[in-house]
Amino acid sequence: MSEQTALTVSEVLQQARSSLERIRVAVVGEISEVSDRPGYKAVYFSLCDGDAVLPCLMWRREFDATGLTLTQGALVEIEGFLTVYAAKGRLQFQVRRLALAGEGVLRMQVAALAARLQAEGLMGDERKRPLVELPERIGLVTSPRGKAVHDVLRTLERRYPLAEIVMAGVQIEGRGAVGEIVAGLSAVGEAGVDVVILCRGGGSYEDLMPFNDESVARAVIASPVPVVTGIGHEPDTSIADLVADLRASTPTAAAEAVAPSMDEVARRLDHFASGMMRGLSASTQSARHRVRALASRPVLADPYALVSRQSQRLDSAAEALDRALPVRMERDRQRLETLEGALKTSGSRVLERVRLRKDALGDRLRDLSPLGILGRGYSICFDADGVAIRSAALLEPGMGLNVRFAEGRAGCTVDSVDMEGT
Amino acid sequence: MSEEDKEREETQVAEMRFSEAVAELESVVRDLESGTLDLEDSIERYERGVALLEVCRSKLEDAQQRVTTLMGELEDEQSSPDASSDASGE
Repeated sequence: MSEQTALTVSEVLQQARSSLERIRVAVVGEISEVSDRPGYKAVYFSLCDGDAVLPCLMWRREFDATGLTLTQGALVEIEGFLTVYAAKGRLQFQVRRLALAGEGVLRMQVAALAARLQAEGLMGDERKRPLVELPERIGLVTSPRGKAVHDVLRTLERRYPLAEIVMAGVQIEGRGAVGEIVAGLSAVGEAGVDVVILCRGGGSYEDLMPFNDESVARAVIASPVPVVTGIGHEPDTSIADLVADLRASTPTAAAEAVAPSMDEVARRLDHFASGMMRGLSASTQSARHRVRALASRPVLADPYALVSRQSQRLDSAAEALDRALPVRMERDRQRLETLEGALKTSGSRVLERVRLRKDALGDRLRDLSPLGILGRGYSICFDADGVAIRSAALLEPGMGLNVRFAEGRAGCTVDSVDMEGT
Repeated sequence: MSEEDKEREETQVAEMRFSEAVAELESVVRDLESGTLDLEDSIERYERGVALLEVCRSKLEDAQQRVTTLMGELEDEQSSPDASSDASGE
């Protein structure tokens, strides 16, 4: 026997346990037994590969978190560490991570594709297009069966019934899904929409695989309008989500992202209405202000002001006129007087001359007057009618005659008439 | 504006797409709020805005969702695989 102190059973098992628990490994195997009973603190199963069997346990809480149901023959990948259950002297594998083996491979493939597309710059934020605020037509690529499509339609109807929905009902899992999704995206794009919703309800990782397909990813990238994805309910993000213009967590969330709510739009319209009224009111206010300002200007407020200057001019002109007239008149009067005086003087001179002439003419007249002739010894005979007799032929003996002399007259009677010597 | 022109403008506004009408309404409000228009223009723009507002509001009120199906048949939510599906999408 060696000098080493002998260990107890517990001690040796404890040592083994300590050694084993330090090593974390991943193991792939097929499930050969499952013991999943409610009330038990852990789920027990066995993993085998045909040659060996590994008993496993996973604490219930952690197991439930995986959401998996273990079935006989399922290929799984576990991660954890070996340990010893001392009471039974058994080897156990404590599972920390559990996944379906297929899923593990798939995840790796997806990760690789994602890296490649990212390297091509297809996931960059600068590529993501903004959504139209008020879409006229909304494209919808999803399964025509199930809850998701109706959730989306209901949400869109409630929020924004104005938009027409252009739907491509496609297969969203299994073989053929990829082809149909790509065809659906293409059809909807060609139909002319403002935005596309690509969505599906929840499912397993495998169910969601079509949305990790490269063709689908490239079809999303090639869409002429923004694509909003709403794939599954889990936190897992598919490649379609990564290359989309906007990722929503669920189909309903995608619908909400795409369409404004009626309330929002109605409020916006109200906002416009009040903005318009304010604007118009401001315009009329300013116009009113201008008019009022002009109305209060003196030329309009007191129109007499306009004529006052002119009328004052008139007044002072009238005044000047009044003053000027008498002066003028006085001047004229003086002129008149002067003229009168002059007239008088020259008038009397003229009169004098006229008188002289008159006298002279008077004299001549007297000389020529028959009475003057009488002075020379002639006499005039008038008949009884006072008509001067020029011819004796008019006389008859016994006729009465008046004879006028230079001095005095005589009444005569005709004794005889003699026409001889005429 | 003549009666004819008014009518033509009314039909034109009624035929506008909702988003177009909203966009024009936005510009009307901007014009009015800018305070650079004279009185007649302000009134004219305001009237245009009111017409657009009417159309927008009535479109909102009357709006009914239309679904056009390019491929696949929309199934009723409650329908079982065997029942003949009522294609509720046009």
